[in-house]
Amino acid sequence: MLKISQLRANVVGRNILKGVDLEIGAGEVHAIMGPNGSGKSTLVQVLAGREDYEITGGSVSFDGADLLAMPPEERARAGLFLGFQYPVEIPGVNNAYLLKAALNAKRKAAGLAEVDAYEFLSLIKAKMKFMGMDESFLSRGVNEGFSGGEKKRNEILQMLVLEPRLALLDETDSGLDIDALKVVAKGVNSLRAAERSIVLVTHYQRLLDYVEPDRVHVFADGRILKSGDKTLAHELEARGYDWLREERVA
Amino acid sequence: MSAARDKDAALRSFEAAWHARPGDGIAATRAEAMRRFLALGLPSPRDESWRHTNLRALAGRPFADAEPATPMRASWLAGICAAPIAIVNGRPLPAAPARTDDPALSIESLRASIDRDPASLAARLGSIGETESERWALLNRALFVDGLHVRVTGRVAAPLLIVHSAETARDDAAVHSRVIVDVAAGAQATIVEHHLGGDGHATLVNHTTQLHLAPGASAEHYRVFSSDAHTTHFDALEITQAADSRCRQFTIALGGALLRANLSGRLDAAGAEHDSYSLLVGHGARQVDCVNAIVHAASRTTSRQTARALAAGTSRVVFNSRVRVEAGTAGAQSNQSCRGLLLSPTAEIDTRPQLEILADDVKCAHGATTGRLDPNMLFYLLARGIDRAAAQTLLIYAFLDDLLTGMSIPGARHAIEEALIAELPGADLLRAYR
Repeated sequence: MLKISQLRANVVGRNILKGVDLEIGAGEVHAIMGPNGSGKSTLVQVLAGREDYEITGGSVSFDGADLLAMPPEERARAGLFLGFQYPVEIPGVNNAYLLKAALNAKRKAAGLAEVDAYEFLSLIKAKMKFMGMDESFLSRGVNEGFSGGEKKRNEILQMLVLEPRLALLDETDSGLDIDALKVVAKGVNSLRAAERSIVLVTHYQRLLDYVEPDRVHVFADGRILKSGDKTLAHELEARGYDWLREERVA
Repeated sequence: MSAARDKDAALRSFEAAWHARPGDGIAATRAEAMRRFLALGLPSPRDESWRHTNLRALAGRPFADAEPATPMRASWLAGICAAPIAIVNGRPLPAAPARTDDPALSIESLRASIDRDPASLAARLGSIGETESERWALLNRALFVDGLHVRVTGRVAAPLLIVHSAETARDDAAVHSRVIVDVAAGAQATIVEHHLGGDGHATLVNHTTQLHLAPGASAEHYRVFSSDAHTTHFDALEITQAADSRCRQFTIALGGALLRANLSGRLDAAGAEHDSYSLLVGHGARQVDCVNAIVHAASRTTSRQTARALAAGTSRVVFNSRVRVEAGTAGAQSNQSCRGLLLSPTAEIDTRPQLEILADDVKCAHGATTGRLDPNMLFYLLARGIDRAAAQTLLIYAFLDDLLTGMSIPGARHAIEEALIAELPGADLLRAYR
């Protein structure tokens, strides 16, 4: 589904991604772990199309298409979803509208008619109930005044509504208490499907107790240092990241 | 010497118009205003309050009074009121306007008001808005041809819509008009003034509105400017408020080549509350210069000013607001929030909130920010698949949310949004959003 080859990128003139290679098949859940500042967030933002990040080399193909040639809105409509590490507050644009506009943009790209207003409302209400969210969220501004946990739930809610082909969740678990973490994990697990892939960027193994990954990658210094199965996550939790760097130097 | 080279041609033409006017019952106050105006001359960039708006080109053009005209232009705000009152080239149409649907509302032409009781009207004219910096209001006192005198004596449910239009086929026409609104103790009304017209001619409109709220009165006042791109409009709005009165004022700038909109407010007694909202849209080469001055002259008075400026193309938007809290007052509260959004690299926004506090016990806050669309917000919307143009428009609209949601007449809000949307990209999406 996704094939990243030798991807390099600069942020404000600084070289952050230094040759990333990663392949994700349909139906797979991958976890990307790594220390602060290693470039994990940059990678998912580049994949989502963040424009102030400069691609300096490499290629990314998404379902056979050249992802890097697509503007961010086209990537989203093609089924790529980025769950933001820091969801943006947009006062004055309400949540229900954003959800509907996003869903309709995707439907339009797929040649479908706009969603029926009644159908949309019942869909949203069901998903919100599933995520343990109060209906009053719908009429509030996007993420406006939301707590950290509410913002992350809202990201997952958007994902559930949009049903992406590929979800990139950037530290969706950070700042969550254990109950919120379970709700978020429930949302992610409910989307696991043969035709859908999920990438979890995380610092901690904790999320992976609830969402079991097929593959775990360690990201350091702008590239993938080591890949393995879920046991790698446990090893990282026990030993930290330094041993990997040392192993690499040696 | 040709008129084009006479740098004082405008001033001379105003003086000539003054001499040519037939006298009326308020000639003395008009003469006094004209003398002061001529002594001051036209404002120049040396005048602090005019440093962003250069009138040199206007000063060199002679003007002549716009003749009476008959066409009545349809206002896009007409839906809010069954019987709008039309004022064409400064004169009510018909000459004896009336609205009989509500006994708490009485309307007569200013001309009739002058003829009936010149002394009272003359006394009502000398106004707080006639400062040196707002000398167009002085010229208005000298030259206004007619207008309306509105008295509100009870609770008036339906909004009163006054449609001012400039209808002329000349390039040197000047329209001087005035509206006086007196809201009696405990009475309540919504007044909407819509200025439109121009027809491709370089018309000068010099309008003054005086609004007085007696104790316990409340009013919502709108002035909406949507003249064509050739019109120069000087608008002075004076609001005086007695004890426990409430005023909500909306200034909506959506048209004209140059609009100078002044608001002078005075809170004269305890419990008076004033909210003003300024939606200033710079489009094309338009210049919008909005100056608010609110005086807290009594204890326990409150003012809140919310300004949102948008500037596209090569437009320039200026918002100056000054709050003065007089000595000897206590418990005054004021808040000024000015935000500007630049939509093009060649547009300009200047905002300047100022506070002048001469009392001890006050709570005053102000803030001013100007910037471009937030790239993080934009990326968030794009990452959800929303069109770029639509996302930009949505953010512009969101920027104006505080102001639009403050309007309490749904019909007015809807019509103003429609007119606003027509000036923005991505109109279809915004229509779907509402």
